[in-house]
Amino acid sequence: MLKMFGAFCIIGGCGYIGFKIAHIYSKRVELFRFLQNGFSLLETEINYSSTPLPLALERVGMKINKDCGSLFAKAATMLHRKNGITASEAWNEGIITLSNKVPLTKEEKELLNVFGHGLGCSDKEEQLKNIALTKKQLYMVEKSVEEEQKKNQKMWQYLGICTGAVIVLILL
Amino acid sequence: MAKVFINKDADIKESINKENVTTHPTEIKKSIISVSPLKIYSLSWFQALSPNIQELVIDCLQSFIGEFEEIRLRINQPIIFRTGLKEMTVTSQKQLTFNLEKGYLINKEEIDRTVQLLSQNSLYAWEDEFKNGYITIPGGHRVGFVGKCVLDKGNIKTIKDISGINYRIGRQVLGCADKIIPHIINNDQIYHTLIISPPQCGKTTLLRDIVRQISDGISKIGFQGVNVGLVDERSEIAGVYQGKPQFQIGLRTDILDACPKSQGMMMLIRSMSPRVIATDEIGKKEDIDSIYNALQAGVTVITTVHGGNYEEIKGRPNLKELINWRFFDRIIVLSRRKGVGTLETVIDGKTLEGI
Repeated sequence: MLKMFGAFCIIGGCGYIGFKIAHIYSKRVELFRFLQNGFSLLETEINYSSTPLPLALERVGMKINKDCGSLFAKAATMLHRKNGITASEAWNEGIITLSNKVPLTKEEKELLNVFGHGLGCSDKEEQLKNIALTKKQLYMVEKSVEEEQKKNQKMWQYLGICTGAVIVLILL
Repeated sequence: MAKVFINKDADIKESINKENVTTHPTEIKKSIISVSPLKIYSLSWFQALSPNIQELVIDCLQSFIGEFEEIRLRINQPIIFRTGLKEMTVTSQKQLTFNLEKGYLINKEEIDRTVQLLSQNSLYAWEDEFKNGYITIPGGHRVGFVGKCVLDKGNIKTIKDISGINYRIGRQVLGCADKIIPHIINNDQIYHTLIISPPQCGKTTLLRDIVRQISDGISKIGFQGVNVGLVDERSEIAGVYQGKPQFQIGLRTDILDACPKSQGMMMLIRSMSPRVIATDEIGKKEDIDSIYNALQAGVTVITTVHGGNYEEIKGRPNLKELINWRFFDRIIVLSRRKGVGTLETVIDGKTLEGI
């Protein structure tokens, strides 16, 4: 009886870890989709109502999903403090907050980082160009992350349970 | 988040109120001797300085607070604070000094950070303002820029590589028009008035108070307020920041902010039917034309012009016409002889003789 309970625990635990890892893949796909939404919203704020950056970022941060919104929200809070921080520095802080919630690769961070360099310090036209470019790149990243998800998500789910089963077999 | 905002707004309002309490220039000295109620960190122009500079000046400027008219930052030059005719600077040891050579040198990064702060990191939101070379900040102060102009088909697109920043600190002196009002208002009639003044003699401050008094009404002489249309081409009179006037300009005043004077006057006449139109610094041909139009509509015009004295204005191409035509009922000349806003002469525009 006790053995059965132990085996159950091991399989359950390993399975849980597997599912957790698999979940990251879907979270990442979701993130890149929402990021594109976020950039579209930012585009509207800048283009249509010329909202200053702190307010624009704050509004975007509130409108989209929590994980992804943390990028915008954090940058907005940094800028609201008015301690002489540049938009690019504030944006980088946002990226750090985001990467703590959802793992990002170096290239993805770099992509967002490059966007930050141009943030706020040029006229409307250039801002819109910058946003459009970043959106396009995000779309491409989304596609490749989707591929990754298809390939790996199922594998990690099975791998967790199977590893658990193997451990149980060895121990028996 | 929203709460933070409300607080910030309240802060700004508070600081404006404190700033606007400033009494007549001659009384400032007295208020310094007694305990000064103003705290430098509560002033809106102080909050618009970069944190580095704020830290540098927070302790040493307190004694001149309320007197500053300009703060100038130029690349690789000392920071300069100007009060009236005196100029001073701050050393890197946070000491106030009149020896400008010892002053703290402003570097490019400082300028860049200041611009980012002033524009809230959003140059795109202030495109038009940058084209004109200045922006209005909370408190109604104006900040001017120079740098390299970027042209697009011969027109200025924006200014880049900003090398100099000038904070012009706007000040509301409630009641500074008290002496002049009797010359402008006679029973219920308001005269067409031209204010002539050299730069920095309180021309805008005076106009602001005239507008306020005419708009609110003056109980002392039994004058009921009338509708005033204000064309504030350079956002200087009302100091509008994001739609809200930062100075008291009266309860019957309609403001067209950042609008070219000639167009603005016509728009106001059509849309808001004012009794009085006030505007700053006329001089262009179109301005004169729209003043004629205002006259046709039965609207009183109160305006100002840059100039040392009456003779000088009489010689100006477009203004000459107006004066010879005897358009203005009153011509008021200001100077700096006995401090900012000295009333030099009042001339009856019909007889062209002093009153």
